[in-house]
Amino acid sequence: MISNMMRFGPSIPALFEGLDEVLSTDYPAFAPGAGRLRAYPQVNMGVTENSVEIYLFAPGMDPAELDVSLEKNLLSVTGERKLEAVDEQATVRRERFAGKFKRVITLPEDVDPGKTEAVYRDGVLHISVAKREETQPRKIQINA
Amino acid sequence: MTDNKMTTTDQATASNEMAQSAAANALRAQSLELTPAADIIETDDGATIYVDLPGVNHDTLDINVDHDVLSIKGGVNLHTPKDLNPTYMDVHAGSYNRQFTLSAELDSSKIDAKLKDGVLKLVIPRSEKHKPRKIEVKAA
Repeated sequence: MISNMMRFGPSIPALFEGLDEVLSTDYPAFAPGAGRLRAYPQVNMGVTENSVEIYLFAPGMDPAELDVSLEKNLLSVTGERKLEAVDEQATVRRERFAGKFKRVITLPEDVDPGKTEAVYRDGVLHISVAKREETQPRKIQINA
Repeated sequence: MTDNKMTTTDQATASNEMAQSAAANALRAQSLELTPAADIIETDDGATIYVDLPGVNHDTLDINVDHDVLSIKGGVNLHTPKDLNPTYMDVHAGSYNRQFTLSAELDSSKIDAKLKDGVLKLVIPRSEKHKPRKIEVKAA
């Protein structure tokens, strides 16, 4: 009995690793450390009088690896986060997201895809999309 | 009859869960600090900690060591326009807070910290006397 356990011993960690891998790929919501991630990158969005401002929390990225596209009012951001190469054996804790991601965000319908700006700063991708001019509030001159 | 009963119980459970998650959300919104994700790597030379702090810059980052507790606090600054009216938010809190308890083997007086693109890298060396060393055996 004990010799059997010994024999199977080394395969147990491999089994857990396999489980982690299955969870990470097929059931991301249950992956280790997924509790605080849910969706990646996290998004905050808001509107001003003449623009829509989108903030994606994507730290440690090379801006060249980020792909932003806007089709009508559908904004998609794709990219791949590559973490620093480390010795897996020496890793005590792994919580940070790694791998490919895609996030699609529906913007208000009055945006002008032609007027989009994107800036990557302090690990946050800020995308600013102007609203179409005809939908922006304007002052009407009253003629005497 | 039995089926009906089952359904009622299920519904009760579901609504209970919804109430719980709503309460949890409210609680989360109240506590205005986020726990940032971190990676820890330990080698013979010491420990390296990576912490994801998107939106934090050098001015809003605060790192402290009190005895064996390393505290990291960071304020999120998105440089938003003044008249911004939020419509959707994954990130409700305005700051990060995380603490790590350092092993006595690490030399907390020699922490090297770098912040780049919202990722904080901390390198904490192992104190000399705790580094593994080879003992030479002299011939008798």
